[in-house]
Amino acid sequence: MKHLLSMMAALLILFYAALSCAQDWDDILKQAQGQTVYFNAWGGSQAINDYISWAAKEAKKEFGIKVVHVKVTDLGEVVSRVLVEKSTGRKDKGSVDLMWINGENFKAMKKNHLLYGPFTQKLPNYPLVDTENKPTTLFDFTVPVDNMEAPWGMALLVFQYDTRRINMPPGSMEELLALAQKHPGRVTYPAPPSFYGTTFIKQALLELTDTPDALNMPVSKADFARVTAPLWRFLDRLNPLMWRKGKVFTKGAPAMKQLLNDSEIFISLSFNPNDAANAIANGELPGSIRTYVHRSGTIGNTHFLGIPYNASAVEGAMVFADFLLSPRAQARKSDPEIWGDPTVLNLSRLTPGDRALFEKIAIPTASLPPAALSKVLPEPHASWVEALEKAWQIRYSK
Amino acid sequence: MPLTRKQHERLANVVTFTPHMRPGNPPKARADLPDQADQGISSGTGMGTFLLLFPGSVFFTFLVTVGAGLWGTWLPSLGYLPAMGKTTLTLHPWTELFNHPAIGGAVRSTLVSGWGTALGAFLLSGLLFAMNYGSRTWGVMEKMLAPILSVPHAAFAIGLSFLISPGGWLVRMVSPGLTGVDLPPAWVIPKDPQGLSLMIALVLKETPFMILVMAGALQQIDYNATMAVGRSLGYRPAQVRLKILLPQLFPHMRLSLYAVIAYSLSVVDMSMILGPTTPPTLPVLVVQWFNDPMLETRLMGAAGATLLLGMVLGSLLLAYILEKAIIRCFEWRVANGRRETLLSPMTPVGRTLLMGGMTVFTLTMVILVIWSFTWQWPFPEVLPAQWSFRFWEKSIHDLGSPMGTTLITGLAATMAGLVLTIGCLEYEATLSKTIAINRYKKCMSIIYLPLLLPQVAFIFGVQMLLTWFHLDASATGLIWSHLIFVLPYIFLTLGSVYRSFDRRIMTTATLLCGSPMKAFLKVKLPMLLRPILFSFAVGISVSVAQYIPTLFIGAGRFSTITTEVVALASGSDRRVAAVYALYQQLIPMGVYLLAIFVPKLMFINRKRMQR
Repeated sequence: MKHLLSMMAALLILFYAALSCAQDWDDILKQAQGQTVYFNAWGGSQAINDYISWAAKEAKKEFGIKVVHVKVTDLGEVVSRVLVEKSTGRKDKGSVDLMWINGENFKAMKKNHLLYGPFTQKLPNYPLVDTENKPTTLFDFTVPVDNMEAPWGMALLVFQYDTRRINMPPGSMEELLALAQKHPGRVTYPAPPSFYGTTFIKQALLELTDTPDALNMPVSKADFARVTAPLWRFLDRLNPLMWRKGKVFTKGAPAMKQLLNDSEIFISLSFNPNDAANAIANGELPGSIRTYVHRSGTIGNTHFLGIPYNASAVEGAMVFADFLLSPRAQARKSDPEIWGDPTVLNLSRLTPGDRALFEKIAIPTASLPPAALSKVLPEPHASWVEALEKAWQIRYSK
Repeated sequence: MPLTRKQHERLANVVTFTPHMRPGNPPKARADLPDQADQGISSGTGMGTFLLLFPGSVFFTFLVTVGAGLWGTWLPSLGYLPAMGKTTLTLHPWTELFNHPAIGGAVRSTLVSGWGTALGAFLLSGLLFAMNYGSRTWGVMEKMLAPILSVPHAAFAIGLSFLISPGGWLVRMVSPGLTGVDLPPAWVIPKDPQGLSLMIALVLKETPFMILVMAGALQQIDYNATMAVGRSLGYRPAQVRLKILLPQLFPHMRLSLYAVIAYSLSVVDMSMILGPTTPPTLPVLVVQWFNDPMLETRLMGAAGATLLLGMVLGSLLLAYILEKAIIRCFEWRVANGRRETLLSPMTPVGRTLLMGGMTVFTLTMVILVIWSFTWQWPFPEVLPAQWSFRFWEKSIHDLGSPMGTTLITGLAATMAGLVLTIGCLEYEATLSKTIAINRYKKCMSIIYLPLLLPQVAFIFGVQMLLTWFHLDASATGLIWSHLIFVLPYIFLTLGSVYRSFDRRIMTTATLLCGSPMKAFLKVKLPMLLRPILFSFAVGISVSVAQYIPTLFIGAGRFSTITTEVVALASGSDRRVAAVYALYQQLIPMGVYLLAIFVPKLMFINRKRMQR
């Protein structure tokens, strides 16, 4: 009897919680109506811009919010702007409502109290997120997310190669070096502190170091020189064999994509496993490009949506973030013809109808099957980023 | 009573209304007619007080804006940024800056490309002028000047980069057919570590600007008379231009040369596309630091921006000293009486250089047009494998609102700039004493500050100021921020022509109209329509090109064609970037064309006014 009572009480509490949550969300939806959400996101990809403008149209139809995509070249610009607003004491009516964010920018904004939240627990679609199998949705570059940003998509470091120039793609950093010896000048990676370059360095470190466990701890607790020695030995050999003899670097994956198209390099990289397929579909790359990853696994992380502490349209931003998490929006996003960005949702939690949206998407020939992408390496502790970037710059950027 | 020659001249002017803008006679005219009636549009002190409003507001606005801008950068460079809990002054950002591994290389490549550009553009424009002026090639070039100048820096850099890179168009033209090369060669341009390709691109872009300034300065000098005298003394034309004309032209070009020095030392967009990468040039590094995820890095960024400011000011000082030294060293050469010159036999070289430069510009434009119609274009095809209209079609849907914002902002800022400039110049015309005029000119030179200071060294402070007054994210703030950069260029292009307007015409007109205002509106403005329209075109193209002010002060509320272009240029899609870059060019080019043809149409029955 006691048992039953406590169970009923628990149920009641749960029911009440669900109700109040729904109540809350209804209020949020009501307040969001008519709001304008300034969504600050990188604007360098037509495919992504088109997807965002589709989502904006849907949000207008469904929730009556107006979403404006502020196209930025570097999210740092937006962080700067929020910082200036804080400097001048603006606690509300900020110019940014929602921003595409992850990793270091998140860490800095969270630390300096520039973010609104926690808020993701209020989003009706948040429970669909696959937090169990995709731990990076809870830890952004190992920094606890604490519901301060909403997961949007999964990123995975993948490489692309030109089958007209290379028969067998390399399966490890050592094999990449061998390839560079065979084809001098046809390999490159972006220069840190571009996050593309930093991720490449971290991947190399994870593959090459003798003490991978040290990377899970703060860098101050590790013997940096000893842990990273194999990395520098490797780069000292690789760099002179690279594109422009390692004296010139690209800024990131977009620039490398152009070089791959121009056959200046044979291997490029991306954070989107369907990037090559998408680029072939829209004509940016020739049809001979294929995707591969290294055998030991590859670094994966999640990109998110955050709301600044002084956003003008908090409710609208939350509603739009929730819409972007919805199965419909996530399925469209993961279609390589549209964008190809992998979903953050757990498909087994979806209704059969919603699941079908994902299942009907065909895997293009230029992409890898999901099984090949299952070995995900966790990011090293966030403190390694700065130390690695600095050490790299001292060695190679003088 | 027989008339003196001067009286004859004046009479002739009065009767025929000749726009007497050539001979450098404004001071003479001023001395001639000390009475009040000829003093611009102000005949009474009331008007003078009214006109004082213009320089007053300009002076105040610029002083406050630039001052606050610099202050807002200097304080963080000393470790003061309360938003991050930093409230104690410290030199830490500076020690961090000087200990940064990239700083040495960055400063070196910045100085190399900056100084190389300034010297290259100056010498090249001077030599080209001396060797080619008056030739048919020069005539073609003068016609191409407006379209060349209207090419935005970023668009030019994108086109040039694809032209000269190893996988680019030039290599594709000869490969594999002629060379057998089916892989791009391994040369290290663009983006070479020394910054040379950046320098060459900047020289290509800045030389036409210097030539334009020179052409403007030529209006102040009686070219034909000087040439006739020089020729009659046995000098060759090239020598007359080098020895007699250039020294007279230089004072009119000094400010523009300084602007080129400042610009090439602090250029960001072209350096990102063509400049070195490890490390990049200092201004690119500073922008990187300002955008760094580690917020503390912004303090070092502020220190870097201040260092850049110091480098620019130091360079300007050095340029000033160099000028004096060169005059000292070469004065005797001008007057050594030697008639033979190396320049004349070199004329074909000059012509080739000129043609080469124009060809490069044409090719960069052609390449953008081709990319805008491309679907897929792999190496080593000379032309795209598949063509497409899709990106143009799509752009029509996407571009309406950015285009409108660009036009409205540009028009508003330029109109405001023109009214302020003319107001300031009219006030100057009310001053009768030379000392007063010089003092006034000195005061007003503050408006050139935005040309001489690196944008990154004060724009963040300006952003802070406008955010403080809740003017960020507003149309007012946006137009204001554009005006700061538009006004100096309008002043620069309009000032000298406006000042050399023959005031005797105004005297006569005032006498005939009965009101100085009427005379101003009915005679002076129409007569100056051509230079005013030209400044208008310059103003619009400066406004169109603004990226950092639009993004930071517009707070992302206003997307212009340039914010779209720059955002797309950060991606990989050259086709969309090419379409947008061409749109970006369309506006200035259209306005330049208007500036050329409107006077022709309006003065269809007055031949001399068309020129």
